[in-house]
Amino acid sequence: MTAIIVIVVIIAVLGFVVLGAYNKLVALDQKADQAFADIDVQLKQRNDLIPNLVETVKGYAAHEQGTLNAVTQARAAAAGATTVDQKVNADNMLTGALGRLFAVAEAYPDLKANTNFLELQRELSDIENKLAAVRRFFNNAVAEFNAVRAQFPTVLFAGLFGFGTEKPFFAVDTADRAAMTAAPPSVKF
Amino acid sequence: MAAVGLQTHIWANNTRSTLLLIGFPVMLTLVLFGLELVLMGFGFLPNSGGTLGQDIGLALSMLAGTIPLAVVVALIWFAIAWFGNQAMIDAMTGARKVERRDEPQLYNLLENLAISRGLQTPTLRIIDSDSLNAFASGIREGHYSVTVTRGLIAALDRDEMEAVLAHEMTHVINKDVRTMIIASIFAGIISVLCQLVFRGMFYASGGRSRDNKNGGPLILIGFAIAAVGYVFAIVIRMMLSRTREYVADAGAVELTRNPDAMISALRKVSGRSKLQAPDDVQGMFLDNDREGFTDALFATHPSIEKRIAALIRFAGGRDPGSREGSVASTATTAVPVS
Repeated sequence: MTAIIVIVVIIAVLGFVVLGAYNKLVALDQKADQAFADIDVQLKQRNDLIPNLVETVKGYAAHEQGTLNAVTQARAAAAGATTVDQKVNADNMLTGALGRLFAVAEAYPDLKANTNFLELQRELSDIENKLAAVRRFFNNAVAEFNAVRAQFPTVLFAGLFGFGTEKPFFAVDTADRAAMTAAPPSVKF
Repeated sequence: MAAVGLQTHIWANNTRSTLLLIGFPVMLTLVLFGLELVLMGFGFLPNSGGTLGQDIGLALSMLAGTIPLAVVVALIWFAIAWFGNQAMIDAMTGARKVERRDEPQLYNLLENLAISRGLQTPTLRIIDSDSLNAFASGIREGHYSVTVTRGLIAALDRDEMEAVLAHEMTHVINKDVRTMIIASIFAGIISVLCQLVFRGMFYASGGRSRDNKNGGPLILIGFAIAAVGYVFAIVIRMMLSRTREYVADAGAVELTRNPDAMISALRKVSGRSKLQAPDDVQGMFLDNDREGFTDALFATHPSIEKRIAALIRFAGGRDPGSREGSVASTATTAVPVS
């Protein structure tokens, strides 16, 4: 009789541990997916602003074709990206291309005085900051998911529940990372 | 399991809150037991007529009857607080309700946060004070309220204000006001019982009971037990309050996706949060920095430094430093509220 009770108690405790581990993994997985969706929202907003920006710059600096094309191409690549890796690459390309575009704009006083251009620049830098924040939030969620997944006792059942692989981070180039940890890129007028 | 990130940090703190809440009934039982011993010592309660050990055993068996009584008292007390709470807070803080047209930017920030969690927008209130503080109140759906000071509106930029509102929204979402009312009711009942015991001690110096030969030791043991229960009840209440602040900070980051804004808001509030209000209301403030009240065990809020350290460790935040009014690294994000 006692033996049966002991066995039932052990099974019940094990059941709770497995249940708890599973629920934690599902919650953390959801959180990371949700955070990635936040990045997507910001990326989409940025993509929507770019055609307007390119048009505005064209009006004043039409012969800067190379820079303008680079932005357009990067935007197209960003729009077509599906996996995290592709998105990371496209995002970095676009950030770089936009940086060059704003640098070029420095040479055109009329463009710099255009209110439409200023408004777009302000909006883009705002999105850039929000992107930096949601990227870190996403990476935090991913790091947490990966850590809990690899911890004991969760690691014993993670594969069984379909959480066998680690989630990829939203990485930034090493050079960019140094810049991001310092201060957001400032634009002088 | 130890916290490794924002969500596990929240889970760990919530587990701690639950354990702390369980502590209150335990302490109440302890104090009731102490009270019984004291009453028995005076002869108000019947004694076993035997040894000290038998008297203590009898007191233990009487707990079965006294605990349900204490629970009923607690429930009645809770019902009174439930209905009278908001009116009392409104009267004590001098906060004034504002509409969307009075503070459109602020109202929109709060409304967006509420919408993002599918909640009814809390009432927005403002206190005309230069100090930097905010608090959430209300215990019933549809009666929640978020109050900020005029000084806070002036000092914080848009992102920081959003973080503070999100901190208060998290208190609303987690029903922390309710938790703290339960805590203060338990602490209140325990302190009333302890006063009975302490008054009994005074009374003891006047006339010793002749009904119980174990009177002296029983009174002393009862007093000691009640004193321990009383101190622990207060410590538990303060620990519970501090735990809820960590959760609210983490919740603010979860809502705004921006740990830096919460950190720089705390930096700005630090040292400038003093606001006149009764103790129970001060416990609900964004920051409750008590001068000369350094004992960490009895503080309602963790220090700003500890809160920032938790945000850096668990939410990946960056500290702009404590220089007055300087938020160099986020200056370009600052979109003025007006």
